[in-house]
Amino acid sequence: MNENLFASFITPTMMGLPIVILIIALPAMLYPSPNRLVDNRLISIQQWLVQLILKQMLLIHNVKGRTWSLMLISLILFIGSTNLLGLIPYSFTPTTQLSMNLGMAIPLWAGTVITGFRYKTKSSLAHFLPQGTPTLLIPMLVVIETISLFIQPMALAVRLTANITAGHLLMRLIGGATLALTAISPATASITFIVLLLLTILEFAVALIQAYVFTLLVSLYLHDNT
Amino acid sequence: MLSRVVLSAAATAAASLKNAAVLGPGVLQATRIFHTGQPSLAPVPPLPEYGGKVRFGLIPEEFFQFLYPKTGVTGPYMLGTGLILYFLSKEIYVITAETITTISTIGLLIYGIKKYGASVGKFADKLNEEKIAKLEEVKQASIKNIQDAIDFEKAQQALVEKRHYLFDVQRNNIAMALEVTYRERLHRVYKEVKNRLDYHISVQNMMRRKEQEHMINWVEKNVMKSISTQQEKETIAKCIEELKLLAKKAQAQPVM
Repeated sequence: MNENLFASFITPTMMGLPIVILIIALPAMLYPSPNRLVDNRLISIQQWLVQLILKQMLLIHNVKGRTWSLMLISLILFIGSTNLLGLIPYSFTPTTQLSMNLGMAIPLWAGTVITGFRYKTKSSLAHFLPQGTPTLLIPMLVVIETISLFIQPMALAVRLTANITAGHLLMRLIGGATLALTAISPATASITFIVLLLLTILEFAVALIQAYVFTLLVSLYLHDNT
Repeated sequence: MLSRVVLSAAATAAASLKNAAVLGPGVLQATRIFHTGQPSLAPVPPLPEYGGKVRFGLIPEEFFQFLYPKTGVTGPYMLGTGLILYFLSKEIYVITAETITTISTIGLLIYGIKKYGASVGKFADKLNEEKIAKLEEVKQASIKNIQDAIDFEKAQQALVEKRHYLFDVQRNNIAMALEVTYRERLHRVYKEVKNRLDYHISVQNMMRRKEQEHMINWVEKNVMKSISTQQEKETIAKCIEELKLLAKKAQAQPVM
């Protein structure tokens, strides 16, 4: 219990050099690019997956929104692979750092909002006031809608950070509990171990889901604004 | 001064090169040829069909082969066990909460891979096969189209050989039609000419008849005119005398 539970979330540096940059660049190396008509299994599966995700995600967008397709696909692949790689024991997950998530969320959100204001000014401003509100409530509602708009990037970043960090932390805690319980009563330890197994399954799911949610929300903001 | 000479010489020499724009900073490299070789990706080397063999999913077979001459079959296993126990006993590897999570995560992964690995591989193979099958189908359809076109062309060529029959028949037809028309016209000409000649003949006949009749009438009229009254009486009396004679003869005859 004296041990620092957050030790694994420190940005890794080796002798003062930030190797976190290498860690962030690692997932890109796991996606080989197709070179020929019939590739190996890895590339074929990745191509199929990317096609599936792309078709699903870009159905709702018009031509202007589809210019963002590369961005959105890179986003979901990056977040998904970074989260999954973070489940490897003793590894570092970049998405646990709020700084990086803010760095992803704010520019994307700001991009959608600025696109909306630039090309559909009236309709973007109209989003501040939902339809059918009584006249007395209008000023208050405008303020509330503005706040909710500016909360969006914060929510995106904090959601991703909190979910992944909480998951990792929980796994570490329950692992520690199992370790401590093996000395006291192995039966309880095995129950705790089963809980840990279930949690690990959840973590795998959460890793993918969080990526999906992030990208989906960005795409939704985009849809509103194009 | 000399550098300017070099530059101009290099410029003329490099006018045929593809990258003459880089001459300014890199005069020394002006003779380097860019992008004249084969593109490095083609022809693509063939993919190996199976990956390298590994034991425990991690350690390649070559390692075991490498240690075999010195330590035999159990060598690498002894090495691995010894290393693990050394790390554990010397607390170089500390058993922490992370160890338990490691066990659960890696255990889950291995279970998942063992259970679904083959089917995922088969799925990937199926994707590739479908892609190739689609292209193959396009190729086959194209080949079939071209083959059909060739066969059709050959049939047309065979027909062309027999075209002269058609032309002969048509020629005969036309010759017959011409012959028929000629004869028909000949016959018509003949008929027309005969018509005209008949007309002239009938005109002549008619004229002669008319003249004959006219002459007869004239003769009769003149004879009538010439026969005077007295002659008429004499003639009639002679006729009556002859008739009486004849009557007598006639009476006498039947009695015989």
